[in-house]
Amino acid sequence: MNVAPARPAEEAGIVIEHLSHTYAPEAGTGVLALDDVSLTVERGSFHALLGPSGCGKSTLLFCIGGFLPLQAGRIRTARGPVSGPGPERGVVFQNFALFPWKTVRENVLYGIGKRGIRGAAAREIAQHFIDLVHLTGFEGSFPSQLSGGMQQRAALARTLAAEPDILLMDEPFGALDAQTRRIMQEELLAIWRQTEKTVVFVTHDVAEAVYLADAISVMSARPGRIRETVAAGFNRDPDPAVVRRPAFTDLVELLWELVKSEVEACRPALASVA
Amino acid sequence: MNGSKLKRLHRAALRSVSFLVLLALWEIASRFDLIRPFLLPPLASVLARLASDLVSGAFALNAGLTLYRTLAGFALASLVGIPLGILISRHRLVGWFVEPIVSVGFPMPTIAFLPIFMLWFGVFDLSKIVMTAFSAVFTVIAAADGGTRGVERPLVWSAESLGARHGDVFLEVMLPAAMPQILTGLQVALPLALIVEVASEMLMGGAGLGGMMVQAASYADSAGVYAGIVETAAVGAVAVALMARLRRRVLRWHPEAAR
Amino acid sequence: MPSGFGERRVRGIFVRYAPLLIIALVWEAVTRLGLVSGTLLPPFSTVLLSFVTLLRDGTLVPNALASLMRGAAGLALAIAGGSALGAGMALSPRVDTAVGPLVQAFYPLPKTALVPLVMVWFGLGDMAKIVLIFLGCLLPVILGTYNGLRGVDRVLAWSARSLGASRREVVREVLFPAAMPQILTGLRTATAFAFLLMVASELIIANNGLGYLIGSLGDNGAYPAMFASILTVTALGFLADRGFAAISRRLLRWRA
Repeated sequence: MNVAPARPAEEAGIVIEHLSHTYAPEAGTGVLALDDVSLTVERGSFHALLGPSGCGKSTLLFCIGGFLPLQAGRIRTARGPVSGPGPERGVVFQNFALFPWKTVRENVLYGIGKRGIRGAAAREIAQHFIDLVHLTGFEGSFPSQLSGGMQQRAALARTLAAEPDILLMDEPFGALDAQTRRIMQEELLAIWRQTEKTVVFVTHDVAEAVYLADAISVMSARPGRIRETVAAGFNRDPDPAVVRRPAFTDLVELLWELVKSEVEACRPALASVA
Repeated sequence: MNGSKLKRLHRAALRSVSFLVLLALWEIASRFDLIRPFLLPPLASVLARLASDLVSGAFALNAGLTLYRTLAGFALASLVGIPLGILISRHRLVGWFVEPIVSVGFPMPTIAFLPIFMLWFGVFDLSKIVMTAFSAVFTVIAAADGGTRGVERPLVWSAESLGARHGDVFLEVMLPAAMPQILTGLQVALPLALIVEVASEMLMGGAGLGGMMVQAASYADSAGVYAGIVETAAVGAVAVALMARLRRRVLRWHPEAAR
Repeated sequence: MPSGFGERRVRGIFVRYAPLLIIALVWEAVTRLGLVSGTLLPPFSTVLLSFVTLLRDGTLVPNALASLMRGAAGLALAIAGGSALGAGMALSPRVDTAVGPLVQAFYPLPKTALVPLVMVWFGLGDMAKIVLIFLGCLLPVILGTYNGLRGVDRVLAWSARSLGASRREVVREVLFPAAMPQILTGLRTATAFAFLLMVASELIIANNGLGYLIGSLGDNGAYPAMFASILTVTALGFLADRGFAAISRRLLRWRA
């Protein structure tokens, strides 16, 4: 168990310092979603944010993405301070967020077009990423014609086609069934190893975090704080039996105890029944 | 808590600014004779007219008649339309027969049938009520059909496996489950009924808000026309509020009530 | 040989609308057998004959064209104005605070109540009817545009932004396409309202158009011709709605 030391943004992928965020302050009673969160994500690493529902991990992700106004604290990447959304920080959402009126190809072409690339060159790049996520043959389909897993691949292809440095993923496999989820996890690791991007991955599934991540930050429930950051790194091991190793299952147990105590902190009545 | 109350008052004040600005423009326009008094009578004269209508009971009479006829037609449309709509969704033959009729009737300018109803039912309340009902019924049928069709099968199956008989399943499960959509249809149908009722009154004359406004226009009494619009808007607001009340009452159990 | 698919389509339409044919036959039978007075309900065949006569003697087409042109003009203005207003309200909180309350107050007013007012302002000509149709169709368009734009899931806009789109591009390339289903529903309602107000205004301000034709034929006791005119306007309204539905289906073919 060790915590990654803070480093300058040029080496680190993302540096977050004393970030706080309150929702809807104008209604009188605001909800403090994030409370003085500080975190460093190593460049090229796969960093998971783990915690119970409503603990602010998605909020943290959206702040890094630049979608929420910066209220207190700072976020920096290698390109400078974060002040709004940008193609260097690509996002993949839980409900895919594909443009339903565009085909898969048109979705993937969207980010490419914003970079100023058009025509045959653009189509070639789009095809490369569609092939990368194993959606060859479905370029002309609309999202409504695809299964959940396929839609998520399309969303991933779209995000990757914009060539971001950082990949922000908000429980991307949460809407998929268990089998598809397992397949997508393996494919995501393969793509990550190939493209060497910095990934921030939000999940409530402990085993998923341990399987995928280099480092896992456990977040506390309302208000959201980083409770602990632990190192994992099982993702470097290509052996599928890694999930049965004692080190793996021990870490899962450890993290589960941490997360469980946060879940119980939110629901005192239920804890007394258990 | 004081902070949020103040903020609410602040927002309410902001929202009424537009009205105040409009009323101010109205005053200025008539004071400085920017628009002919025939087109835009002084605000004071319209207000005076409203007051006298209230006091003399003319408002109560006209608005009451219009509202009565509208509600009667609406009730008729509901009594016929809801059972018919449910029947459509449950019996294929009935559905096959009625569906094209509804599909034609839904976008139809039903007001075109007014002369037919005048021919059949005369020029008094009955023809107006039938006209109003005819206009509203298609919306109600479509809503009742859609609502019962859309009831999720697990709901019905759960009831049946818990031992409910056929009739019980319908009354205790399907009807409540279809209620949100049926009520939405009713909420669309009532303003539609009012629109057609007002038009019918304008055509046939006599007492009622429509007849009163047409008469005012023919006497070049623009203050009367403006006052009539305000009074009709008031009746419309009452109708909309009534339906909202009904919906909240009937759907007390629905998640939308928790918002 | 026509493809089997085409034949099936035609048969499908026939089966679907056969009940209307049955009603026409029942209508004919009931009147021919004397079960209903011929004055109150002329036989269907007589109505059909009057329809042909109206077409031939040049009464029907000019009136129909006058009606449709006014309706189209009012509707077009309402679509232009309403979508602009609805979009403004959805995208700018300031516009929403300024215009929103007025729209909300306008909502419960039955738009036919404006007929005497437009008569006062514009007399008995085309302008009065076009303005009436414009005002009456405005609200469904505003609501459809407003609700459509507001209802767009924020992650769609966020995705576009993080793919490099500017705020303006997001509105044009994401919000409007995503809002299309609801905008089109509003337009469909507005079309039906256009027909309603077109006929109502012509019945009340009776000088030309299909509504006027219906009214004057009725006043003169020419009931078969009156019925024929009513069926004509009904058919026009129905066809307009069907046409709109077909356009919607084409535009929204990406839907599940």
